[in-house]
Amino acid sequence: MISLTKDRFGGVLFLLLSLSYGYYAADIPLLPGDKFEPFHAQTLPYWLAGLGSFLALLLIVSKATPSTQETPLSRANVSLMLGLLALTLLFSLSLPWLGFPATTSLFLIASYWLLGERRLKMLVLASVPFALIFWLLLTEVLEVYIAPARILYW
Amino acid sequence: MLDGMFSGLATALMPFNLLMVVAGCFAGTFIGMLPGLGPISAVALMIPITYTLDPSSGIILMAGVYYGAVFGGSTSSILINAPGCASTLVTTFDGYPLAQKNQAGKALALAAYASFTGGTIGAIILIFTAPALASVSLSFQSADYFALMLLGLTSVAAFSGKGQVIKAMMMTVFGLMIATVGNDVITGAPRYTFGALDLVDGVSFLLLAMATFALAEVMMTIMRGQMHGSEQAMQPVALSSMKLSRDEVKEVAPTIARSSVFGFVVGVLPGAGATIASFLAYGLERNIAPPRLRKMFGKGALRGLAAPESANNAASTGSFVPLLTLGIPGSGTTAIMLGALIAYGIQPGPRLYLDHPDVFWSVIISMYFGNLVLLVLNLPLIPYISRLLAIPPQILNPLIIFFSIIGVYLVSFNTFDIQMMVFITLLAVGLKLLNFPMAPMLLGFILGGMLEKNLSRALVVSDGSFDFLWQRPLTFSIVCITVVILVLPWLFGLVKSRLKATLPAAD
Repeated sequence: MISLTKDRFGGVLFLLLSLSYGYYAADIPLLPGDKFEPFHAQTLPYWLAGLGSFLALLLIVSKATPSTQETPLSRANVSLMLGLLALTLLFSLSLPWLGFPATTSLFLIASYWLLGERRLKMLVLASVPFALIFWLLLTEVLEVYIAPARILYW
Repeated sequence: MLDGMFSGLATALMPFNLLMVVAGCFAGTFIGMLPGLGPISAVALMIPITYTLDPSSGIILMAGVYYGAVFGGSTSSILINAPGCASTLVTTFDGYPLAQKNQAGKALALAAYASFTGGTIGAIILIFTAPALASVSLSFQSADYFALMLLGLTSVAAFSGKGQVIKAMMMTVFGLMIATVGNDVITGAPRYTFGALDLVDGVSFLLLAMATFALAEVMMTIMRGQMHGSEQAMQPVALSSMKLSRDEVKEVAPTIARSSVFGFVVGVLPGAGATIASFLAYGLERNIAPPRLRKMFGKGALRGLAAPESANNAASTGSFVPLLTLGIPGSGTTAIMLGALIAYGIQPGPRLYLDHPDVFWSVIISMYFGNLVLLVLNLPLIPYISRLLAIPPQILNPLIIFFSIIGVYLVSFNTFDIQMMVFITLLAVGLKLLNFPMAPMLLGFILGGMLEKNLSRALVVSDGSFDFLWQRPLTFSIVCITVVILVLPWLFGLVKSRLKATLPAAD
């Protein structure tokens, strides 16, 4: 019986990806007469889907490579990583509304706190002045236009 | 050639460009010192900055960062036994034992001298080989380019290590798949946009590079818990005298010379890169060392430190040969530089030598300056630069994340890019956990558009037939090399397993 190793799991995922990639290749619109050309917009996607499926199947059926010794991931660290990505997502959503200095300061404070920094002085000093100086550098020195916070005009 | 060389020298000697070399070397040394962040991440972090510079200055800055990061990786390998990147892993074998013997200063100095010599010899060979190869490649047609790109993509996969070949190929295909997102380069037909306007222009190279290398690397460091307790580990050991005795210089000089030439040759091979060069040079030196010295390898042998250090720097220089002359990157880092050059509207390849001699030569010449800066400025400043490592990781990591996302945002001013970055980072972390290599994906993505264009042209010229692959001797030779590279790992594996099966029987 084939056991589900890391490699095989990756292979199955890639097979699914290649098959759906190939399925959606049919949706690519072609110009009139393109079907009779040796190469058109759908050609490479179909080839890649086929090649990807073949390689995925090869990985699934090939002999499993001995897994290298890796440090096991702790649930806390995975949550930490997901938390940081969630903060990054929040940064992107709040940037147009709160503006650059406020969003950056809040993002940095929250990230420092999430990673274990609890000193209030450090949380504020390593974020607010940094965000303000960086913002001034961009807008005043490099003359980059950064849209003001929408909340100010609401 | 001389005209171009002088124009390149004039460009490289411009005060601003000299400043870029120095700044790049410093920034690279610092980033390279951080465990987990290597030259690829360091160069990726610089892309947004280079967008504001002219092409020569931008590429010079990137080259400086590249060298600095390799040097920084060696420093952390020697001082805290934590290689900043894969190519300096071998440096820990003998560098850290030397530091433990209270010879950290000597180890750092030797690493710097070896890197400098490796880089210098590499730059000299590059000056002569690159124009020659560039003039030959002027006769290349689309079929040859397609075959070359195939060679580049397969060799990256083939050199990716034991048990990784299929995975690397899958990642190359994945990169090619991502490259097809957006409007088709030939007909303009929208592909895989699913009606989203933000995807019409395709996935941005900068976004992909930052997400898969800068952001994903930081996330992996956090997830592996490497930041906890690292404050203590980051405290560098005390540096001692940086002087080498006459006997010691005599002992390592032939090693440095051999490893430099060897490293350059390995670096030129697309996909091989500095990591393989450093491992091979170390193995070679250990094998040819007299038994008395061989015993010292792994315990603080000067030769064991000099060999990988000169080889990885020479290989870094060597990897610029396929990039500058053929437009095919030899490593993940040069793949990022290729993307940056394309973003500037400069197509690396044989025409680069003719159309932009200033860029071509200034990059080569500034490489040498970069090595000089590392030796003259960085080495004496190492004790001070390494103090930056004392910044607590809970402060440093969010700042790196911030610089990664803001770098992407400041180019497009579109928050959708940050959201896409989060999605790609999550995907990249998942792939890294499943041990899928990332560099082939980036290479596939960068070469995807060019590969499709050249394949389409070649197929149209040959009326839909694949006989263009063997009609011209040049194309056929490249295809043959590709097949050999593709088959070789399997052949080696087969021979090895046969030998294993027959040996016990013979016993």
